[in-house]
Amino acid sequence: MNTHDPIVGRYVYVQCEGKTYRTYYEENGEGIPLVCLHTAGTDGRQYRHQLCDPDITANFRVIVFDLPWHGKSLPPADFYLKEDEYKLTAKFYSDFIVAFCHALELKKPVILGCSMGGNVCLSLALRYEHEFLALIALEACDYSPGWWINPLHHPHIHGGEVVATSVFGLMSPESPDEYRWETWWYYAQGGPGVFKGDLYFYSVDSDHRDQVSKISGKLPMFFLTGEYDFACTPEMTERTAEKIKNAECIIFSGGHFPTSEDPVKFKEVISPVLRKVLALDPERRRERSGAFTTRSSLSSARAERPAANADGRRHIEL
Amino acid sequence: MSRYSTRKSFDLEWVEHWARRVNEDRILAVIGRFFTGKFVLGIDETDYLIEVSKGKIQRIAEGLAANDFGFDFALRAPSGSWAKFSQPIPPPMFNDIWAMAHPLHQHMRIEGNTLPFWQNLRALTHMLSLMRSA
Repeated sequence: MNTHDPIVGRYVYVQCEGKTYRTYYEENGEGIPLVCLHTAGTDGRQYRHQLCDPDITANFRVIVFDLPWHGKSLPPADFYLKEDEYKLTAKFYSDFIVAFCHALELKKPVILGCSMGGNVCLSLALRYEHEFLALIALEACDYSPGWWINPLHHPHIHGGEVVATSVFGLMSPESPDEYRWETWWYYAQGGPGVFKGDLYFYSVDSDHRDQVSKISGKLPMFFLTGEYDFACTPEMTERTAEKIKNAECIIFSGGHFPTSEDPVKFKEVISPVLRKVLALDPERRRERSGAFTTRSSLSSARAERPAANADGRRHIEL
Repeated sequence: MSRYSTRKSFDLEWVEHWARRVNEDRILAVIGRFFTGKFVLGIDETDYLIEVSKGKIQRIAEGLAANDFGFDFALRAPSGSWAKFSQPIPPPMFNDIWAMAHPLHQHMRIEGNTLPFWQNLRALTHMLSLMRSA
């Protein structure tokens, strides 16, 4: 008998800054849209465990797209005519995320982004506060310098190996070897100069130090950083979160790529956050006739309901 | 704290012990087969010259001399940093040479010609991780 992951992949055409981008995305689950943003130079495979987790997909429509230039999403057709190297900017990145959400007609999605995907949450909070239900920023801070460097794109240096090895130490030595090396592999597969170009955003164009205090605090924001993250240290995240009204900050014993380097540990860390996010949207909970049962309410609910709803969808056990 | 946690441990004998382990490693024979060059392992004020050929360490020397004809790059750090780096489970910010050398942290200095450093980063990272073996 064949075994499949429940993930479905498709392409959607996204308009952004006057160009059309054929954009690959994967999804699984039903409920509140949870749009996941991969880290620099890699692609949506980093979220394969969360896409397959029935406890998450019972209440969230988990969606992961590959940013243009990454994974199965192509660069713009005229990329070979560019007169500057590839550089991701805060404006394009945040505009593209919103355009993607509009292309899929998502209503008030939650953003879960890691590293540069975490840093861009600050741009989203500043520019698109009303588009989202909540922002979950993993390994994020208001300034993460030191990564926009030439060795990451140089004709005398093997791009895949140097890019992947440069990020290997960002992971916790106690994360499982299998998953750390899978993460290394993702990095080794990026297009030439894409990791470095993303790091233009990460280390240069996402300097939000003088802007974070302008974030209103009306949009719930959660910051989570692993203690082995040497690019965005726990202290850097804490200092950022302290400047944002109502932001919550969680430091955990992990590394910079929690979704892929240690998915079991990540589930422990993210579950309480997802439970809080579920509580933010009572309307959609009602729509699903109580399907968004959380662990905290399970004890009272369990006596009256079966473990699964009539449609076979499982209750959340976060 | 590991047995490598004091300055006294980081002597030529310690470097030789590590170098022999490097040369027995079967992964390095593959990923390091194009790694040929000379680098300096700097521990406090002492420079150890490491000569590498096809991923194997051919020679180590305590201190630098005119006969060496120089070196490609140097990794210099206080013994306290190497002590943390060489623990079986190194603490945050000391678990990786780029982590230690990153401008945010500066627990290690990368000096000389950094091109061969970056070119051989994968083999070098594996080579140095063998300091953690029992």
